[in-house]
Amino acid sequence: MSNHVILSTHGLRKSYGKRDNRFEALRGINISIKQGETVAIVGKSGSGKSTLMHLLALLDKPTKGIIELDGADTSKLRQGQLNRLRNKKFGFVFQSFFMNANDSVLNNVILPLKIAGLRSHRRRRQAMHALKTVGLESKAKNKANDLSGGQKQRVCIARAIVNEPEIIFADEPTGNLDSVTGGKIEDLLFELNRKQGITLIIVTHDAELAKKCDRQIRLVDGRVADESTNPKRRTPKPTSYFTHDTGDTDADGILNTDKEEA
Amino acid sequence: MKLIDIIKDANRNLLRNKLRSFLTILAIFIGSFSIISTSAIQAGVNDFIDGQVNSYGGEGYLAIASKDSFEAIENLQNASDGPLEYNPDKIQTGATAIEPATIAKLKDIAGIDPDSVQEQKTISVDYITSAQTDKKYILSAEALPPGHIKVDTVAGTTPDLNNRDEYQILLPEDYVSALGYDDAAAIIGQTVTLGVVDQYRHETKKFTPKVVGVIAPGVVSLGYAYTNTFLADDIYAENSKYYPAELKEQVFALTASYDYQNYDIATIKDELEEIGLSAMTVEDIIGQIKSFFDVILGVFKIFGFIALLAAGIGIVNTLFMSVQERTREIGLDKALGMSSRHVFLGFTLEAISLGFWGSLFGIAVSMTIGHLANTAFHAENGLLAAFPTFNLATYTIHDIINVVILIIFIAFIAGTLPARQASRKNPIDALRYE
Repeated sequence: MSNHVILSTHGLRKSYGKRDNRFEALRGINISIKQGETVAIVGKSGSGKSTLMHLLALLDKPTKGIIELDGADTSKLRQGQLNRLRNKKFGFVFQSFFMNANDSVLNNVILPLKIAGLRSHRRRRQAMHALKTVGLESKAKNKANDLSGGQKQRVCIARAIVNEPEIIFADEPTGNLDSVTGGKIEDLLFELNRKQGITLIIVTHDAELAKKCDRQIRLVDGRVADESTNPKRRTPKPTSYFTHDTGDTDADGILNTDKEEA
Repeated sequence: MKLIDIIKDANRNLLRNKLRSFLTILAIFIGSFSIISTSAIQAGVNDFIDGQVNSYGGEGYLAIASKDSFEAIENLQNASDGPLEYNPDKIQTGATAIEPATIAKLKDIAGIDPDSVQEQKTISVDYITSAQTDKKYILSAEALPPGHIKVDTVAGTTPDLNNRDEYQILLPEDYVSALGYDDAAAIIGQTVTLGVVDQYRHETKKFTPKVVGVIAPGVVSLGYAYTNTFLADDIYAENSKYYPAELKEQVFALTASYDYQNYDIATIKDELEEIGLSAMTVEDIIGQIKSFFDVILGVFKIFGFIALLAAGIGIVNTLFMSVQERTREIGLDKALGMSSRHVFLGFTLEAISLGFWGSLFGIAVSMTIGHLANTAFHAENGLLAAFPTFNLATYTIHDIINVVILIIFIAFIAGTLPARQASRKNPIDALRYE
């Protein structure tokens, strides 16, 4: 983990609906994520963790506030630039896989590269390499539907890393898997982080998985309730930064939240 | 994303729902088939008529009559407008004689060859027979008009118009065997006997013209025999032997040639109009036949077009279903960086692909049937055996390309609706969609 802040948010708010039906999903989020860090976003359902991930992944636009990627304000980017950014720098792993079930494993993995407009022999090579990383190179020609759940999620991870991303966003990556298979997927993700320095942002309910991350950001009702760093993680934690950030969040009113809500 | 990948994906997506795509293509096929078939028949008929015109050598030929005569015919044709009011200044019998003074004026019109102006006499032959047969056959004969007129002959030549020493005749092909000859070549140079009766049936006079040619069957000749001017003049003299002197001198119809390369037919027609004459070119005459076919085929084309519009709605429906089914897939594509423009393009390409295959399918089936029909009609005893140069269906590259472009255009327009819906999907909503 370097000290370079890859992703940060400032006063991030997101609301849905209008007037009486207005629903505040996020109420001022200030977080910073460093390159190579593994971050778990935890919280009950409805706490806004998925919304936060979508905003961080530039899939949606905040109602208020700023998201900075590599120090640059992403609100200034045009749609085309955002698309290219997601395509080149991000990888996505979803709970329910989202694969084209009737297509081959290889074609599923190739998708981001096809969207990027790479030449077919190059994308084949890159996809085979990604499949090798997740240990499924022998299944390249199989139909995606014929794989087991664990294998499917490995294909999704291969798809997420095929474009050599800087950040992988994983939304409940083990949610649909039994604990043994889920464990293997977790190991795979952390190995990618360790070996390739890919930043991991995981949205999860799973406390065990969250604990394995460098840091947990717990959301309650659209605010950061608390952040905890994992002392057992191999990397030295950049204390000064987190202290400052946590303070900031508090200042924004975690403790006041309940009063406001009440 | 590369265009070739978008095209490949569009086709792959169509194959995912084979039955649905096939049914949509089938609907397009019906429209495509009817339009291309109609175009092919139209092209076939036009080709044939044009061929006939060319064989007729119609350029520069004018059939001239008094304006009143043409108006009388038009009045008959426009009977739905109700009867016309009586005008004492006009002769109402239809044909009006052309005054000698008018003929002189006609010869002065720029562009008209004064030497070509000739009276067109209606001659009447009672029967034709030959030395080879006892039977007599009726015959419609006409003086071969001067000028550029050519006749498509299967044997022999056209009569020599300037020959005033010998009676010459051109016979339609069916008369060859009827008159007892083995083939067209055998009758050339032989004499046949024409029985000509004067209009009051006082006596029959026999003419024995030499057969100089045999006419290929066709629409323009319509089974007419052509005589040289010498023979026509003498037959007319016989026909009108007992006419009152006044009537004998009257001229009702003229033929003339004009310099079609240097003069505009519209100007010549205007000038003729001023001296009370009307003229028809071969194209005008043929145009009447063409417009008859055009109306019928136009109706079929409209049906085809309606079928295509219905097929267009089919495309909209099919693609809306696809958008619905593939909502999550679209969401994933967009999350992974695909632009809305490419999503839009993907769906419109699916529509275009449906249109393309439907149109091609229609054209292929139509061409196959057209070919079979052409072959069957030309077979011995076939419907068109008598017209070897007439193909019922003629497919031109121009028509084929036009039909494909028309259908692709309709498909594209139909595809834009679902494509717009797809391209506007928000990736998050799409990914959440169950």
